[in-house]
Formats: sequence, C-alpha cells, structure tokens
Amino acid sequence: MTPILEAVGASHAVRGREILSDISLRLHPGETLGLIGPNGSGKSTLMGMMAGLLRPSRGEIRLEGRPMARLGRRQIARRLALVAQSAETAERITVRDAVELGRTPWLGPLRPWGAQDDDAVAAALDAVDMAHMAGRDWASLSGGERQRVHIARAHAQAPRVLLLDEPTNHLDIHHQIAILDLVAQLSVTTVIALHDLHHALRCDRIMVLRAGRCVALGPPMEILTPALIREIFAVEAEIIPHPGGGRPVFAFQRLA
Amino acid sequence: MPRLTTAMIATFTLAPMAAFGATEYPLTLTSCGHEVTFDKAPESVVSVGQSTTEILYMLGLADKVAGTALWINPVLPEFAEADAGVERLADNAPSFESVLAKKPGLVVTAYEWMIGPQGVVGTREMFDDAQIPSWIMPTECVGKDNTQSMDGARSVLFDTALLYQGIEELAAIFDVQDRGAAVIADLKAREAAAVERAQALDLPETVSGLFWYSSAEIEIDPYVAGANGVPGWMMSKLGVRNVVASAEEWPTVGWETISKANPSFIVAAEMNRRRFPADDIAVKRDFLTSDPVTSEMGAVKNDRILTMPANAMDPSVRAIYALESLADSLAGFDLK
Amino acid sequence: MRARAATRSTGRNRGWLWLAPAVLVAALLFGTAVGETRIPLATVIEVLAVKAGLGSAALDPIDASVIWHYRLSRAVVAACGGASLALSGLILQALLRNPLAEPYLLGISAGASTGAVTVAVAGIGAGLLSMSAGAFAGALTAFALVAALARAAGGGTGMRGAGVIILAGIAGSQMFNALTALIIAQSASAEQARGIMFWLLGNLSGVRWPDSWVAVPMAALALGVALWHARALDAFAFGAESAASLGIDLRRTQVLLIGTASLATAIMVSIAGAIGFVGLVVPHAMRILVGPRHARLVPATALAGAVFLVLSDVVSRIVIPGQVLPIGVITALVGAPAFAVVMIRGRQR
Repeated sequence: MTPILEAVGASHAVRGREILSDISLRLHPGETLGLIGPNGSGKSTLMGMMAGLLRPSRGEIRLEGRPMARLGRRQIARRLALVAQSAETAERITVRDAVELGRTPWLGPLRPWGAQDDDAVAAALDAVDMAHMAGRDWASLSGGERQRVHIARAHAQAPRVLLLDEPTNHLDIHHQIAILDLVAQLSVTTVIALHDLHHALRCDRIMVLRAGRCVALGPPMEILTPALIREIFAVEAEIIPHPGGGRPVFAFQRLA
Repeated sequence: MPRLTTAMIATFTLAPMAAFGATEYPLTLTSCGHEVTFDKAPESVVSVGQSTTEILYMLGLADKVAGTALWINPVLPEFAEADAGVERLADNAPSFESVLAKKPGLVVTAYEWMIGPQGVVGTREMFDDAQIPSWIMPTECVGKDNTQSMDGARSVLFDTALLYQGIEELAAIFDVQDRGAAVIADLKAREAAAVERAQALDLPETVSGLFWYSSAEIEIDPYVAGANGVPGWMMSKLGVRNVVASAEEWPTVGWETISKANPSFIVAAEMNRRRFPADDIAVKRDFLTSDPVTSEMGAVKNDRILTMPANAMDPSVRAIYALESLADSLAGFDLK
Repeated sequence: MRARAATRSTGRNRGWLWLAPAVLVAALLFGTAVGETRIPLATVIEVLAVKAGLGSAALDPIDASVIWHYRLSRAVVAACGGASLALSGLILQALLRNPLAEPYLLGISAGASTGAVTVAVAGIGAGLLSMSAGAFAGALTAFALVAALARAAGGGTGMRGAGVIILAGIAGSQMFNALTALIIAQSASAEQARGIMFWLLGNLSGVRWPDSWVAVPMAALALGVALWHARALDAFAFGAESAASLGIDLRRTQVLLIGTASLATAIMVSIAGAIGFVGLVVPHAMRILVGPRHARLVPATALAGAVFLVLSDVVSRIVIPGQVLPIGVITALVGAPAFAVVMIRGRQR
C-alpha cells in the first residue's frame, strides 16, 4: 500500500548547518502520528518540510507516491492541510470568513464559489462545534476557540493529510482535551507535534526527534520507556498503569 | 514715493564728501542692513551676478575684478574683451571657499539668496569673519522682503533710482566718482529717452502683457513676472497692465489663468543657461504655439511674442536698454 | 444560510454596478467644472457635449481648450493615479501584513524624487531625459535596491520576511531622500530648488492627454491584476506561510502583485511627482466601509482612490485664490488626520 505521505532520507540545512538529518518515515492512511522531542529538535522544521513549505536539502518528501518538489502548490493544498503553531490576523474577519479561506485551493477566477463549498464549510463548522458562532468576530474569540476555527479551516480544505504543529500550546486543560478529541474524531491521516507525553499516548505511532535525528519510531507504549525519557528529556519518569485499564500515566520525579 | 525716499535714506548713509571729488576714507555705509567700512579703495573684487559685474566694467574697474560668477547670458559686447581676461569662478553659484581663495577686498552681488541670511554662497557674517566686506545692490532690499520666498516680494514698484544709487555707492567705494557720475548721467539720459518713446506710443489701457522667465517643466505652471519687479516697471512706463497681480518677484501662475486673462503681448526670456528645458527660447515658443490652450491666446495667434535677455528682467543696467527695444517692438504691433 | 447570504451579496453587488461608474463620472465632472478660473457649468457641459459629438455650438476657443485639454485630462489622470496609488497600498498591506505598508515605505517615491532631481539639477542627461523619465528610472532602481537589501537581510516568506522588507524600504527611503537633499544643496539656483520642491510634493498642472495614454492602461492593469488575485489576497489574512498552505504560489503571486504595485506607483510619480497618503489611507477607510473581503475591497479602493485624488486636486486649485498648492500637501492634510481616526476606531472595535 502506498504510504500517503513519505519522507525518504529528508534533511534540511540552514547556512550549512543541518537542522534535520536523514528522516525517513512512511505515513499510512488513517493513522495518527505524534511528533515529540525537546525544544529545538526540529519538529517544526519537519512539519514545514512535510507541508511542502520547506525544501529538503537532501532526500525528498513524497505525497501519494509523487515527489512534492514536482507538485504545484494548489495540488499539495488540496491533499494536505497545515494548522500552524500560531496564526493570527489583524483583519476584522468573522469565523465563517476564516473557515471559508480553507476552500481557497478549490476555487479560482474561473471556478467561483458553489454549493459544494457551502457544504464543506458547514460540515467543517459542525465538526468543530462552532456553527452557532459562525458570525462572531475573530477578535472576540478565546484561544481555544481560535484553534478550533483553524482546525475547521483545515477541515474545509478537505485534505487527506492534516498536519498540526503543537495545537494545544497556550490552551487550558479543557481545551487541550477538546482539541485532541476533535482530532481523534476526524478520519483523516494526522501528524501532530506535541509536548505532552500523555497526549502522545493517544497516537497510533510516535516519532521521537533529538537534535534533528529520529531516535525512535513506533507505537507509543513500546517507545515511551523510562530509559528513553531519561535519554531524550533528561527526566526521571515512572510509568504507572491506570487502575481502570485506561491509558497509563507518567510520573515525573526529578531531573536526571 | 515718500516711503521709498525714507527707505533710501534709512539704508544709505555716506560720510560727508565733496560731490564728484575723491572719496574720503574711512568710508562707512550700510548695505541692506549691514554696515561695511572701507579704509581705502579695495584692490580687488569678486562679483556674484552679471548685473554687478557689468556695472563694475562700466565704471572701468575690469582690472580690479578678480573673479565673477552667476552668468545667465553672454556679457555685454562692449566688455567682451575685458571680461575674457577675468576668471569665471562658476557659471552658477560659486562656493564660499572659491571666493575666499581670491582674497578679494570686496564681494558684491545683487541677490540676497546668494549672499544673505540664507545665502547660498555665504552669509554676511561669514564674510565678516573672513574680513571681507560684502555689498548688496540696494535694488535687492529696499521695498523688498526676501524672507517669505526665495525670489522675494516687492511691496513697492521698482524704481531706477535704486539702480543709480547702487552705481553711486560702488563708485564711491572704489574712488571713481567722476566716472560714476558720468555713467549715471548717460544712463539717465537713455532712460529718459526710452520712457519718452514708451509714453509716446500712447497705448490704450486695455493693453496687457506677460513676462515669462522659465518653467520647471515645460508644461507646468510657469515662472512669470510679478507686479512690482523690473517688468512691472517697464509696463508701468508703457502704460499697460500686467496680467499678473502678485507682489512676488517671480510667482508661478497657471497657464489656464494666463490664457483666460489673454495678454496682448508676451515677453519671453532668452538665456544661455540650460537648467530647465524651458530655458531655451525655442522651447518656449514651441510650447506657446503648440499647446492647445496657449495657442488660442491673441498674443500667440498674432505672433506678439517678444524676446528679451533674462537678465534685463532683473535689476540691472540692461533693464534700461530693454525698455528701449520693448518700446520699439510694441510700436511695430498694431495694438491701438 | 450561505445561500441566503449569496443572494444578499449579489443584490448589493448589483447596486455597486451602477453606483460606482456614476460616482466616478460625477467626480470627473466636478474636477472639470471647478478650477483656477471661473467657467460656468453650462459652458463646461456644452463643451463636453460638443467634444462627445452631441450637437454643435460656437465655443470660446480658450474655454473649450481649457476644459478639454487641461481640466478633463487632468481629472482623468488624477482619477487613474488615485486608483493606482490606492490599489498599490492595498496590495502591499495585504502581502506584507502591515497596516503601514504603502509605496512610500518601499522607497519607490523617494527613488523617483532622486531620479528627477538628478536629471533636473545635476544636468545628467538633461535634454535627452526629462525629469519624468528620470523619476521613472529612479523609482525602479530604488525598488530593485530595496528588494535586494531585503533578500540579503534574510527576508523571505512569513512575518519575519514582511518586517525585513519594511525595514529595507525605510533604509532605502532615507538613503534616497538624503541623496536628493545632497544634490539640491550642491546645486545653486533658488528657482531650481523651488521647481523641485513643487515636484517633490506632487503637481498635476503639467498633465495633458498624452499622459492619460499611460495612466489609464496602468490603472486598468492594476485593477485587473488585483481583482484576479482577490482570493489570493484574502488568503494572506493569516500570513504568508498560511497562504502557502492554502495553495498560493507565494513567489509568483508576490512578484506579480508587488511588481504591479511598484510599476503603478513609479508611473504615477513620474507623471505627477510624489503624492502621499493615498495608498495608506484609502484602503483602510474602505476596509471599514465594505469589509475585509478583497473581491469587494479591490474595486471599492480603486474607486475611492480615484475620487479622493480628483477632489484633492480641485481643492489644491481653489483653496487659496490665485495660487495652486502642491497636491501632496492636500492629501497629507486630509490623509494624516483621517489615518489617525482610522487607527483610533480600530482600537475601539
């Protein structure tokens, strides 16, 4: 089965220094992949490369088997949507305006707004439960609401792959869980960069980055051992099984 | 007129001297509000401006002129040989240091924007510090306010008496008062004859005129003569109206306004300078005849466009010669 | 819900379709009817009718030429210039995500002034090059230098890139303004300095019909390019990176749009000198009136810019009797307080 998104020995160098080295990864349709690693490990750079915004200096990224470098921006945008870490605007737009932007790759001067675009926007607003706030000004939204609108925008793009770069930063615990629940519901293939190791447990697979290299790739329960956590994050941790049979809990004791 | 006389007295005080005799030194006079003193006749002089240069030549002082600057047209033909031996510091404004390098005993000019509070060459104080007396033609500051605009504005109609006063002062400074008196007498006679010719034309009051100096770009608003400058004086002697009413020396007035005022004749300035395309008299003529609005003016349709040297439109002895030729030209038009 | 919204906006669009040309025509008529000298409105209409081939009447030749060759051509060029400048400002504000972005910030007008001054004063190429051609060359040079500086400083896409371009533009403006001052200081004549000052502050008095052969196509091109890219301009709402992830080809879009904005500004500056605040104020004012969607904002900005400059030109001719003020003074006197209002209202929202 062709992986929907594939990185083959991808590296990215800035002014001679490699920020990412030899990342190889095959993303299967429908899976949720978590990216974790310390600050500066290259998560955002990898997201940027996978979104086609950064060119790999070595290796390549393939979307549905085709090298991304050969695809046009519109072609990429119809298959892949990115929710960046923080995207702000000073424009006085409404929630609906922001979500409608997601239809941009499907529209053109010769292909104006139509019924299917209305449907896509309505579906996106419903998916993030913001339909009742469609007329609100962007400026009046809270952080969590803005994140949901960004996700709705990405949803309206009708992509096959959704990339989320640390979507739960600056959100309170309620909204963190809400966003993650929402993402879990969406049936698209998802790559999500995370800080919280508990959130990582919800993914099908995780990739651990350190200093631009992939240190581990696989199901979170197998990868996230105390030894790895010590090695990567320099923190002593214990894994405590959940009494009710749910996901285990990490107990962080002290610096290693 | 009384205001003018008072103004003259206020700016010009000479030490007691015998008429047409030798100058008594030390000579102190006030030139445009600035006091200058001479212990003796200066050995050399730098003249910034064609009008003062030509006056010095007329007073027979060519051998004392160490340097000249600010030329707009060739020198009067009778002085061509003398001028050829004089160094030209700059065709436009000279630098302060180039003037100092000549170590002159005096610097003269007819323009406060050359030597004055905003002087491009220098201020009076700068020359004081270098111990070089500076002298400005009274035509530049009597009844004229140079603080509000670059070319200044005249509150009183120009009077040739100021020109003669300037010649007298220069003659006194250089101790050539006999010569000075002779020059003035000659000029006065020519002026009287020119004025008589002008008045003899007996032009009706409906006749109006325009003096056009140049334009920054050929199609935009031109620099034209205001009401009180030398062109205004010429037109008052001829008994005709100036279509421009501004007191500014050289205001910009739109071609729409000028065309609607429909002057009977247009005097266009001729000069050697080529800073603006419109400096060229041919360019001016071409514009007047080809522009869709100006070509409809009576003056253009009937070819009543006259040429005059640009420096005759500024206070200088040339203004008197120009009045003569202007009167002659207008006689040739059928303006009655 | 959207279907209802669609009919609502079509209804409003249809309203625009006849209102906009009517407003433009009214502004042009006003600009033709009011001027330095008094010409009765009846005469104005008579002349226009005769020139349009409707009817014949004996016309005073000077009045007819003034109305047709001076005033109407001037109004048309003012309208085109106003539209071009306003659209340039709109494009730059959208692409650079900066509410202060406008052609002057990219150093284009400063470069144009230097070019004009170089030709006029230093006498370089005088006779072969007119001041306008010098301005055009200067404008393009300035933009090329600013773009190169921005690239060398690491400007790229995204917020950082936008900030770098603005800083490079400010550096470029300062440098070219200093060059202009140097050339003026070195040279002499008061008349030259005065002529240049008049030009540096904008002056439409030399405009004739041949200027409109350049101004009209340029305005049409700017409007066309901006309209074609209306969705792309919308997509920049969350930044260049976001626009790229929405499928916008950043390089092609930026080159085309910024190139069009620069060309429009350079042409306008070379025709009529440096006129400021149009590109800054008009887009902001229109954003308040018609909202942030570029499909509506682009035509509204073009129209408002056209009307604004025509009216400013009229004011510059009549506010002081017998004297014509540089038009840049009027746009600044109106634009600066208007901009302050825009800023304050923006805060309060």
